[in-house]
Amino acid sequence: MIKKILGNKNTTSQVSSSMATKQTRYEALVKALHADLFRYAYWLCREKQIAEDLVQETFLRAWRALDSLKDEKAAKSWLITILRRENARRFERKRFDMSEYEEATITDTKAMSSEQDIENHWLREKISLLPEEYREPLVLQVIGGFSGEEIASLLSLNKNTVMTRLFRARNQLKDALEKEPEVRGTYNG
Amino acid sequence: MDDLQFRRSIYADPQCTDEDIIQAVAADPSKQKFLNDVQQFDEKLLAALKVPVPDDMAQKLILQQALNSHQQDKKKTKVHLALAASVAITAGLVVKLLMFTSTHDSVAEYAFAHTAHEADYFTNNDDTNVTLASLNEKMTSFSGNFTDKLGDLIFADYCRFDGIKSLHLVYKGITSPVNVFIIPKNDKFTYTQSFSNNRLNGRSEQYKDADVIVVGDKSEPLQKWQENIKATVTWSI
Repeated sequence: MIKKILGNKNTTSQVSSSMATKQTRYEALVKALHADLFRYAYWLCREKQIAEDLVQETFLRAWRALDSLKDEKAAKSWLITILRRENARRFERKRFDMSEYEEATITDTKAMSSEQDIENHWLREKISLLPEEYREPLVLQVIGGFSGEEIASLLSLNKNTVMTRLFRARNQLKDALEKEPEVRGTYNG
Repeated sequence: MDDLQFRRSIYADPQCTDEDIIQAVAADPSKQKFLNDVQQFDEKLLAALKVPVPDDMAQKLILQQALNSHQQDKKKTKVHLALAASVAITAGLVVKLLMFTSTHDSVAEYAFAHTAHEADYFTNNDDTNVTLASLNEKMTSFSGNFTDKLGDLIFADYCRFDGIKSLHLVYKGITSPVNVFIIPKNDKFTYTQSFSNNRLNGRSEQYKDADVIVVGDKSEPLQKWQENIKATVTWSI
């Protein structure tokens, strides 16, 4: 016992240097991936505050399990897997169903100055109205840059299902785009 | 590749690099236009999906982790402290156990060991200056009282008789001192009325409140000692 404690003292510098490495890895991970992860979380729950909480919880868990992450290239899908699990836990804790939201509650407080902003705002509304099963693969593809196979493995679906959902997601958005040109116009006034 | 299948593939993945898609695009200008449209739409989609990220989010995440692992370090220190404390307690218990558990099976064995151990300190020539009063003072804790002097008392004090607080009396004997142990009632010992080894004899007598053991050398009439004790000691109720 005593030997063990004394032994620990000798390896303190080694431990702290490996802690420093872990810290560096963690900070790099945060800087590189927090934005993508936040956006993914946002489109999952469509609320900024909840998305922020999800990302915080995800990175906390990531820190604790950081040693198990061997391949830095897999970091993004690893984090997304953690976040999805966290999100599922949120539903276990309180059972309010987000898909009950008829009206998308997107609060873009920024003044819409340019054409681009108006278009973004309009598209965001449409995206948030997509069924979740279509929206999630779309976000993973467009923001995450994941391939069909990767999305399939992240969501535990087969690839054909994923491709069909991606097709339907874009199809519905295109339809909406073509149906409501006059709605977009009202923002111009 | 028919048009519907082409459109489905492009909608599913506008960045698709499959060979047959590339060929279809190259062969048909309308497909090229469709592909460009969808890719353009995807750029808008990307811009829309990129919702603004809170400015200080990365700093917050790093801070949160720092606070959290600090918290865990504190917990670890507490665990170490608790561990050290329990080791200390265990060590204490072990020492107590070693000191106060009987190492001798029978009272005879212990009485001889105790006598032999202290034999060097007492001789028949020692002063016998212990008074009856001071002896009886000590006897009160054993609910006993000497009505008269039993003999020439060299020494009277409390001692640990195999872990039990007892009274040890040393009297002048015929050739060497006689040891009398007065031991409070306990269920630790099994008594044998008389016992001996190659040098010493011993006798035990059990009373209501205490047990009395007499140990002396071979020349000592221990039975006589026991009878005298019975006659001079009164045990209070």
